[in-house]
Amino acid sequence: MDTPQTLKIAGELLTGLAKNAAYPEESRLDITLEPRDLQEAVGKLAAARWGYLATITGLDQLAAGQLEILYHFCAGAAILTLRISVPRSPIPTIDSICSVFPYASIYERELGEMLGVIVTHTPNTARLFLADGWPNDVYPLRKDAVLEIRQE
Amino acid sequence: MNTVPERFVVPIGPQHPALKEPGHFEFTVDGEQVTAASVRLGYAHRGIEKATEGRNWVQNLYLLERICGICSHIHATAYCLGVEKLAGVTAPPRAQAIRVVVAELERIHSHLLWLGVAAHEAGFDTLFMYSWRDRETVMDILEALTGNRVNYSANLLGGVKFDMTPELQDMILKGLEFLEQRTHDYVAVVTTDATLLQRTRGVGVTSREQVEELGLIGPTARASGALRDLRVESPYAAYADFPIVPVTATEGDLEARFVVRLKELFESYRLIRLILEKLPEGELQARMPRKIKPAETISRVEAPRGELFYFIKSNGTDQPERIKVRTPTLCNLASVCILAVGSQLADVPMILAGVDPCFSCNDRAVSIHSTKLGEKQWTWAQLRQYGIDYYRR
Amino acid sequence: MTWQQVVDDFKTWARVNSPWVVHFNTGSCNGCDIEILATLTPRYDLERFGVKLEGSPRHGDVLICTGPVTLQARDRLLRVYEQMPEPKFVIAVGSCAISGGVFQGCYNIIGHVDEVLPVDVYIPGCPPRPEAIIDGVVKLLGHLKDPAPQANIEEAN
Repeated sequence: MDTPQTLKIAGELLTGLAKNAAYPEESRLDITLEPRDLQEAVGKLAAARWGYLATITGLDQLAAGQLEILYHFCAGAAILTLRISVPRSPIPTIDSICSVFPYASIYERELGEMLGVIVTHTPNTARLFLADGWPNDVYPLRKDAVLEIRQE
Repeated sequence: MNTVPERFVVPIGPQHPALKEPGHFEFTVDGEQVTAASVRLGYAHRGIEKATEGRNWVQNLYLLERICGICSHIHATAYCLGVEKLAGVTAPPRAQAIRVVVAELERIHSHLLWLGVAAHEAGFDTLFMYSWRDRETVMDILEALTGNRVNYSANLLGGVKFDMTPELQDMILKGLEFLEQRTHDYVAVVTTDATLLQRTRGVGVTSREQVEELGLIGPTARASGALRDLRVESPYAAYADFPIVPVTATEGDLEARFVVRLKELFESYRLIRLILEKLPEGELQARMPRKIKPAETISRVEAPRGELFYFIKSNGTDQPERIKVRTPTLCNLASVCILAVGSQLADVPMILAGVDPCFSCNDRAVSIHSTKLGEKQWTWAQLRQYGIDYYRR
Repeated sequence: MTWQQVVDDFKTWARVNSPWVVHFNTGSCNGCDIEILATLTPRYDLERFGVKLEGSPRHGDVLICTGPVTLQARDRLLRVYEQMPEPKFVIAVGSCAISGGVFQGCYNIIGHVDEVLPVDVYIPGCPPRPEAIIDGVVKLLGHLKDPAPQANIEEAN
């Protein structure tokens, strides 16, 4: 199956849920969702066995006061990105997709640690890769994070 | 008598003799059987993703190349291809072909390295020494080509740094001839040597379904019959002009992973010869703008260990807004903890080696599969106190 | 010559002829680690100097460190060093272990190895070639033989 057709199938699966859909590149489809629709969308992809979860990227949109979370799914050359936005403050919260993709756990933990997103229902929230002594309220990948950087 | 069985946790790492990289594992055992496994990484976490935001596009090339010393070229390639896409620049065909040659040479060095390390885990040090001796041939080629044995810096934004001279081509071809003949020997060893087969055949079996369930990629997935190879699925650089034939196996055990990786070497030899024969003429580098307009892109390439995923976002300046790197080991490491449960403790190093883990690539941590009974973990201070009290008695 | 001197001389002789090294990666990219491993394999064969790579720090004479020291690895590095018996020596391999290398300024990096441990030999390079690593180890062996290590290092330079 060729790439545009694979993407078209994904687009059709999520027609009812998508707030916005765009093809930024030939092999990519970006679909913007409401956070509450994420579970359903991911469930539909899993039921149709459309690709696998490549990773989850968190983006800090400081100016807009939002944290954007990107779920990248890959099937062959086709890349589907589900984009959701949550307010940066007081506490950005999303729901876990581990019930559908158990291996999302590591990416969700990374999200919590690096950007301070609370992922509800995620099976494991133990410290992922920051040091044991790292302060609890400093999220390194936030744009306004104050990091004690040692300059030589 | 205490009716609750004592749980015995075997900690391994972060400094340990078998792997040269820091990762901390805890295997809970019942006799020789592993009942739970967890891993804590982060010993090599350096904060590279954040650091990229404070460096310009060119500086980042050298930083990202040092995510991993084993697959450095492929990290740089993924980054360059992504940034070139953002800037609307295409590297000239000759540069793309040279990129592929270096990438395949890197795959050869990485797979031979893995063969040695995996043999070492199995206690078969002779094979380790042989494969590393032969690996020096490809290291010599890489050095002659790029000037460095590791971290070659062959890539530039918009092209490559080095040209392929006729003398170099001769050297490469000679080296490949020797390696090809040696690889035949290795295939014979890993498929017939009785002691090695005892450690690999039927150990750590991963089914096709598990590949889907756990999201496995790279040679690990291919050994279980899943065709996941971006060089075929989504050809990048010069792979569209010089296609490869993917290698798969169906058994899914450690032996299959040995065989798949070794057979991939033959494919690499063939591809390098083909490219050298039909090397496109022309420029080595296209001009790159210093600043890049705001956009996003995704760049995926096939590293020796599997799919490498880069998400790159630019913001109109000479620095990136965000670079996200997802390395192949992260996907595959989760499977180790799951496969280890239920197997013999002695097989665990082999299962771990089977996915070809690369911790500096990860610089992340996972902890999976805690089972029923309450875990009893001691802090260092407690353990020390226990030791003091024990000897005082 | 006193009995103690004889014993000390014997120990030095043994140590110089067969130093056991312990390798610890404090956050390196693997580049240096694979070169250290390559140094032990047939082409370079560090074992001809009696050098043996040892798994347990309790049996080690020399600690080889690679990489910038990360926050998480710092305590473990100290622990490994403390477990080694006296006298012990440290070799810092690679630019990162010497200065932090390209990772300078990263938030999870403490810095270079000699901010944490006393380092006896520095081997620069990204990564150093196996020949350079062998040279560093041989210099250290010279340093072990010599009762005045400072003079030896100056002479080597």
